[in-house]
Amino acid sequence: MVHDIIIRALSEGRFKLLDHEAYELLEAYGIPTPGYRVVSNYEEAIKAANEVGYPVAIKVVSPDIMHKTDVGGVVLNINNDDDVKRACGEINNNIKHLAPYARVFGFLVQHMVQGGLEVIIGGLRDRIFGTVILFGIGGILTELYKDTSMRIAPITEDDALSMIKETKAYQLMIGYRSMPRRDIYSLVDIIVKFSRLMTENPQISEADLNPVIMLESGKGSYAVDARFIIKPT
Amino acid sequence: MAIEQTSEAISVGGRGIEVLFYPSSVAVIGATPKPGHVGYVIMSNLLSKFKGKVILVNPRYDSINGVKCYKSITEVNDEVDLAVVAVPAPVVPQVTADAVKKGVKALIIISGGFSEVGDEGRRLEDEVREIVKNTQVRVLGPNCIGVYNADNGLDTFFLPEDRMGRPPKGPIALISQSGAVAAAILDWASRRRLGIGLAVNYGNKLDVNESELLEYLANNSNVKVITIYMEGLKYPGEGLRFLETAKKVTQMKPVIVYKAGRTKASAGAVASHTAALAGDYEIYRGAFRQAGLIEANSVREMFDLAKALATQPLPRGRRVLVLTDSGGMGIQAVDTLSTLGLEVPELPETIQSMLRKFLPPLAIVRNPVDVTGSATDEYYKIVLDSILPTSYVDMAIIIALMQIPGLTPNLVNYIIDAKRYGKPMVVVSFGGSTMMEKFNESLEDSGIPVYATPDRGARALWALVQYSMIKKMLREGVE
Repeated sequence: MVHDIIIRALSEGRFKLLDHEAYELLEAYGIPTPGYRVVSNYEEAIKAANEVGYPVAIKVVSPDIMHKTDVGGVVLNINNDDDVKRACGEINNNIKHLAPYARVFGFLVQHMVQGGLEVIIGGLRDRIFGTVILFGIGGILTELYKDTSMRIAPITEDDALSMIKETKAYQLMIGYRSMPRRDIYSLVDIIVKFSRLMTENPQISEADLNPVIMLESGKGSYAVDARFIIKPT
Repeated sequence: MAIEQTSEAISVGGRGIEVLFYPSSVAVIGATPKPGHVGYVIMSNLLSKFKGKVILVNPRYDSINGVKCYKSITEVNDEVDLAVVAVPAPVVPQVTADAVKKGVKALIIISGGFSEVGDEGRRLEDEVREIVKNTQVRVLGPNCIGVYNADNGLDTFFLPEDRMGRPPKGPIALISQSGAVAAAILDWASRRRLGIGLAVNYGNKLDVNESELLEYLANNSNVKVITIYMEGLKYPGEGLRFLETAKKVTQMKPVIVYKAGRTKASAGAVASHTAALAGDYEIYRGAFRQAGLIEANSVREMFDLAKALATQPLPRGRRVLVLTDSGGMGIQAVDTLSTLGLEVPELPETIQSMLRKFLPPLAIVRNPVDVTGSATDEYYKIVLDSILPTSYVDMAIIIALMQIPGLTPNLVNYIIDAKRYGKPMVVVSFGGSTMMEKFNESLEDSGIPVYATPDRGARALWALVQYSMIKKMLREGVE
């Protein structure tokens, strides 16, 4: 069952989902994301920040901007109403100068999940094997350490657990050098659901959940950022 | 045989594959009296060894070396199960059509010159595919060296016996993507008397592919372990089929795979080899693990592991008794075992004090148990009999450097006797004397695998633990 969000994005000629579309898609598959709102001005942004809870991140919503950070479209670690107002002004100003032709639909205000272990879950299509799911340690370290494992979708809970255990990141999750234990089963759950999302939506050619932040045992994990590249099948 | 097998057979696929391995009559199309030719070697091998009827076909001869030769397979009156085709590629469509007309059940097309050489070859391959389409006839190849079956002497490997030895009957089967590698493996195995009873190379897989061969071998009760030499799958979607098949097969018997073409550079070399496009190695590795395949790092390791999996019971845990007459060898074993996630637990004080009573004062009894260079056969017996039957260990690696004066060939009997404890054992024996060779042979003849170094023995135990986990006899969970 292809999700409406993807059909709509393709019909508008877009090849990447907007942030809030990506979160909506994740939510539809039961993958936890930090609370967020899409708003059109700073007054709404302040209201939203208080609803989702500080600290928040504010990001520009635009179909024309691929790398938001490069054009000053993201402000992180905002802790109060005044700073929300300031951040909205700053982003508007940056976009005006650095991406003057970009259409701006508004701001995404999102609660920031604090202090977890960052991992990546990815999906791609392989000519021989079909849908491939990737797991690894998050951020730039992924590529340096090549600490990743792969499985072919659809994958089971056992598959997901074994792909987690195959990486060195697993040692970080079970309390390496008195680090807190992470919520491993919540990650298993996300991997299995993500595998289903990839299988049911063949228009997604590539996807990253990066980072997925793993909290301590019992507190779950959240897909904090997501990128979905889509194309008509 | 210790390896348990489920009786559940695979229902899908594998149709008509058996006749490729067990035909009652074989026609050699392209038989020739000219030594050195492919058709000659295949003909000679079949005439001298095959326990079934051999029919020669070549329009140029009435008889070859006193055996009747037919102009065409359609002239043969008797039933022909299998046709082995060794004629130039342009003639293959015609002889295939004749074979189909004659009513053969399967063909092995040895001839090269098809999709692996370009467009003209691809056209010929399509032509052959068209001829067998909508028939029950199965095709192995083209561009392959076919089948070796030690059981009935079916042997289409076109390498003369003085250049390539043939291994004895045995429980190991080989599926090889490369014909040359298959031939080299069989030659090597024959020198070591390693029982690769069945081997098959499938070439361009116009029809029969590795997944179907795997299914067939899973259901062949002579086969205890399947080994696969793979460079890369070729067609879109094949990966899932292979994965699904392997998942089922690995619950029935162990399957070991060695994947060549792991790096970018060697992946390029493979792509120009059997016209195969080697996929990204990391994806293969993930798929192998998902399917429960045991991955070897080299061809040699593949058979090191196969030997243990074919003969040993499966361990119920990860704890290893290291019994050695050399401290240094013992440490090497512990190093590899620990790296591979196996355990070498210290033995409980009760066992240690009992061992101390029987062993000389210098012996170390913690585990590794080091019976030292003054060991006799009896020391080994005492240790095996007092530790293997307890619940403290799940398997044993027995290092016996036979160079020390106190050991005799009789040690073999003590080790064989310890099989009754039902726990896996591997022996490490290293040296070149005739006595040692005999020692190793007697052990292997009794189903106890022998390795030249501790790390190879340790890896063999690891493979047993892996397969226990694959069969879910060991639990997997979060620590």
